[in-house]
Amino acid sequence: MSALTVTFVEEDGTVKTLSGETGQSLMQVGKDAGVEGILADCAGSCACATCHVYVDDDWYTAVGAPDAVEAEMLDMVADVRKDNSRLSCQIKLTAALDGLKVTVAPLG
Amino acid sequence: MNATNGAGVCPMTGKGAALEQMSLIDPEISARPKAYYDAMREADPVHYDEKLHMYLISRFEDIQTIQRDPITYSVKHGYEAQYSAGFFDEFKEILERDGGGYFPDAIMSDPPYHTHIRGLMDRAFTAHRVRELEPLITSIIVDVIDKLPATGPVDIVKAFSVPITIRVICEQLGVDQYNADKLSRWSQAVTAQIGRMQNREQMIENAKELCDLQHFLIGHIRDREANPKEDMISDLVHAKIEGSDETKLTFKEIVSLVRALMIAGNDTTATAMTNLFYILATQPKVAEILMNAADDDRLMSRFTEELLRIEPPVRGLSRMTTKEVELGGKTLPAHAHLLLMYASANDQEEVFGCPRDFDMERSNLGRHVSFGGGPHKCIGISLARLEIRIAAREVAKRLKNIKLEIPVGEIPYLKSVATHSIESLPISYTKI
Repeated sequence: MSALTVTFVEEDGTVKTLSGETGQSLMQVGKDAGVEGILADCAGSCACATCHVYVDDDWYTAVGAPDAVEAEMLDMVADVRKDNSRLSCQIKLTAALDGLKVTVAPLG
Repeated sequence: MNATNGAGVCPMTGKGAALEQMSLIDPEISARPKAYYDAMREADPVHYDEKLHMYLISRFEDIQTIQRDPITYSVKHGYEAQYSAGFFDEFKEILERDGGGYFPDAIMSDPPYHTHIRGLMDRAFTAHRVRELEPLITSIIVDVIDKLPATGPVDIVKAFSVPITIRVICEQLGVDQYNADKLSRWSQAVTAQIGRMQNREQMIENAKELCDLQHFLIGHIRDREANPKEDMISDLVHAKIEGSDETKLTFKEIVSLVRALMIAGNDTTATAMTNLFYILATQPKVAEILMNAADDDRLMSRFTEELLRIEPPVRGLSRMTTKEVELGGKTLPAHAHLLLMYASANDQEEVFGCPRDFDMERSNLGRHVSFGGGPHKCIGISLARLEIRIAAREVAKRLKNIKLEIPVGEIPYLKSVATHSIESLPISYTKI
């Protein structure tokens, strides 16, 4: 495990830059720091959509697209889904994601 | 794909009923509660039901507020006040005397204890892990459909819903020898303890069933202590917090959790399977769409979610306020006992337009509260969804001409404020 930095932009524009560690999920870093809108009701099981984020364009390739199970969950919140939508519980932090920036999606 | 109302206009129904004359423990209202829910949402969204002695929370936003604040709104105290209400001391005595002990539900607790218990169980239920069960669940469901008589009518609850859900959960827990009828009775006996509609005689009968269930489970738990296997009972018996040997679950906690796993997803998922047939038999346009979409994964997933929204198996779970609090324009005192009316929230027009339309193309399908929300959100979501979805797919592939053999108004419902479960559903069909 090594330290890295990630940035969440909350729905009202508040920017929170946080320290995390490789191996953690992005959701865990956000939830531990009380990021507004990262509720993670299903505790990272990919079974709800309460940790939904939009990945910054610069980072989307590094983060990658959702798999089929995650895409089905995102389809359940199609009203706020975008091309760069991901569930942050499914983004595992690696050294390559040091500096990652995401915007928290509205809970609807 | 809006199956019932293409114009997006829906008639307003059920408004103006006299709230004070109604109660959720009236069997008629309990069976067909829509008018009661509509009246509450309209006139008194945090409504005190005099006969039930509980505040019924009927609006989506108030239910969300409660679910997101597990400290102000305690599950532990809400559940304890609900559990075997009116008979608790006698019930507990029977279990202690004849049932191997009284084992309070560890999962029906508040943070931080709840966080610790839940953390031990979450990993078994992730969507990805559950998805690996697809071949197994498919084979169980296909087997049950194959064994249905050629045309019916059959009671779908007994012939389809219950055998499937029982086989799936027993497979997960590692229980290979069981009596399905007994297990079904045990499930109802456990659920009846939060249903608020059992009399004393029924409580005694239910307590006996629970004693029987507990002895059955304790036998399995003792076996896994000595002979660990690859199953959920073994996982719980041998669970340890990472990096520690000290904090494993107590025997009482293990019994309560195995019991919860066996029961919580049993009746509820079975009810959803029964509702699948209810919808297919009563909404021909939905049936037509489904029958032509068995291979469309996205549509099957949306069908499942809309089925759960429009007919939530869990009717209402309880909370208790731990301090005075404002909710929905009302001041609730400390220790107010609340029941969250999920079906009512799912029917709220501002959240789900034309809520009585079975509309698989809703853009916010995932917002329904049929699985609750917040840290207590149903742990079995992914398993329930997968079972229902495979059932829908295999029914679409294998059965047609699904018809209800009694008038809709005569469908019998289990007497309970906790669930909204069809007791039996006579269905005819032809096999494809």
